[in-house]
Amino acid sequence: MIYFYDGTKEAFLTALALSFHDGEPFLTSGNKQLVLGQESVFVRTDVERAKKIEARLLSFDKDCMGDLDTILRSGEPNKDNIALAYFRLIAEKKRPVRMMLSEDAALAADECMRRVGFEIHRFHGFVRFLATASGALYAPVSPDNDICDLLVPHFRARMPKIPFVIHDVKRKKAAVYDGENTFLAPLGEAEVVLAADEMQWQNLWKKYYNSVNIPSRERLKQMRGYMPVRYWKFMPEKQRPDDGEEDQGAPSPPSKRRK
Amino acid sequence: MCYNGGMIDEKTLTILTESAKYDVSCSSSGSGRKNEGGIGNGYASGCCHSFTPDGRCISLLKILLSNDCIYNCKYCLNRRDNDIPRATATADDICGLVMDFYKRNYIEGLFLSSAVHISPNFTMEQLYLVVKKLRTEYNFHGYIHVKGIPHADMEIVNKTALFADRMSFNIELPSEQSLKLLAPQKDRESLLIPMSKLQREKEIFKAEKKKGHFLPAGQTTQMIVGASPEKDGMILRLSEGLYRKKGLKRVYYSSYVPVVHDTLLPEVAGGALREHRLYQADWLLRFYGFDAEELLPADGDLSPDYDPKCAWALAHMDLFPVEVNRAPLEMLLRVPGIGARGAQKILNARKYTKLTFEHLKKMRIVLKRARHFITANGKFYGANETAVRGLLAAAETQANAEQLSLFSMNETALSALTGEL
Repeated sequence: MIYFYDGTKEAFLTALALSFHDGEPFLTSGNKQLVLGQESVFVRTDVERAKKIEARLLSFDKDCMGDLDTILRSGEPNKDNIALAYFRLIAEKKRPVRMMLSEDAALAADECMRRVGFEIHRFHGFVRFLATASGALYAPVSPDNDICDLLVPHFRARMPKIPFVIHDVKRKKAAVYDGENTFLAPLGEAEVVLAADEMQWQNLWKKYYNSVNIPSRERLKQMRGYMPVRYWKFMPEKQRPDDGEEDQGAPSPPSKRRK
Repeated sequence: MCYNGGMIDEKTLTILTESAKYDVSCSSSGSGRKNEGGIGNGYASGCCHSFTPDGRCISLLKILLSNDCIYNCKYCLNRRDNDIPRATATADDICGLVMDFYKRNYIEGLFLSSAVHISPNFTMEQLYLVVKKLRTEYNFHGYIHVKGIPHADMEIVNKTALFADRMSFNIELPSEQSLKLLAPQKDRESLLIPMSKLQREKEIFKAEKKKGHFLPAGQTTQMIVGASPEKDGMILRLSEGLYRKKGLKRVYYSSYVPVVHDTLLPEVAGGALREHRLYQADWLLRFYGFDAEELLPADGDLSPDYDPKCAWALAHMDLFPVEVNRAPLEMLLRVPGIGARGAQKILNARKYTKLTFEHLKKMRIVLKRARHFITANGKFYGANETAVRGLLAAAETQANAEQLSLFSMNETALSALTGEL
């Protein structure tokens, strides 16, 4: 049976309860093409039921709701089923299973959570703020996983007096720190007025980036391994220079690649 | 912000960066400094902010205060006799750059070094003034690494340490003889004594439970490999001593890059492979419980064909295979191909079930090398000893190009891979 749900924690827990005795459940919060004859249900959130099952799961593993939050943030298309299998395993074993890496479900959940955690760590470094005319900082991001609000505590701790916005342009939402509180808001396109000297600082940063490189030890593959090309979009140092400076190691588009 | 920053000019920035870039260390790990108003804090695991086309990470703004040097070290780009543009930045230039780069999240902090300008004491004092200003006037609490200047008075070095997270005196070359030949104005004593003194000073600071910080991220050093004839065995013994006796956090090795020409220096760059092998062995000393003595004789070099752990295991085949369901952690860590993370995964998983090769494969334990040295639930899938040597050497040669680009040369780059360190 295919279970459609809205991607929230409560709906997930309802779906977990509904599908508990289903031998081959398939859970999805996205668009799934229905195969003719396949049975499907739309899960309607049952808050009471969700609460009950949450309490039961917490009695087996007090940290498991954090895991659920992490897995549901994953950009992995199959994340719903990874979470489902993981929580079915917790229910079956009636204990924490995150160390049972010989179990497929535990292993898949572990890898999924690790990828989310790894991207958060990477983004602590890869986020690029633009200084705006108001003094607030603005960072557009486009991470694989839904993590923009999880990035806030890190920057808030180090710049408690500067308001900032981390804008997930792909998911059209923004995590905002206003100098006191943090909140999440829907945000399609942002209108940003840059500080007068912003482009000069970006320019200095590009100069620094180009000067600190040692061209005789070029290892582009290694660079791209550590800093994948999909993350370059909002990094000033990885924008193609207008004045025709040397290539920054981006793979050339397929149409231009010489045979 | 309370500072009214001017902006360093492009040319000065470029000159002082070009002159600083051959310094290898860039790690920002090891300091848990808290934000106390102003901007910045420490990030104990370290953080990479960008990567340059040479595959190195940018964590800190690595820059010289001045590249105008009175010394004439043969291997150095900034040597007195070398005809390059010279520049000296002001303290405000550096501080403004750090503050504005930091708030945009370009960098994790500052790595400040300098050529020996006018005199060692003058230079050290200037470095001190910059970091003092950055901490007290600009209210910066991010990471600061300061290079120690040989022959400077300890008094200046110690007061600098009160503001820095990490300091490093570069040992430069692996032996006194090479130092005499290539860096005649420096000597072993001027590099090693300050390290010991700083170590002692830090212990006193800790014992007295004084307020503030004294090098929370400790000391590091670096040496150039391949500019002089020392063997790997000698280099690793030196590193081992630095880790165990001087309490250093890291020793960096930089494969020699010819930036200046001199009849005393090789004309070709040292290979990346040698540097890679030294880092692999260095890791074994620090995290895998190996002694330099076990790895190779003092007059020997690391094998180019096998990684150092593999070479060790091949020389000790009588200890293998080990059973993954029973072997203690120390032994698992000695299996070629099983790293710290893999060993931990095995320890966790085997509590619940008898692990088989299928399990290991699914857990992404790399078995290409490991299978020759382990049994899983009594089963052995390796080849016999002679075949193993051939297989591993072949695998290694094929994998080499790949490996060099996959594995990192420095700890922060690795932390980017694992997200853990």
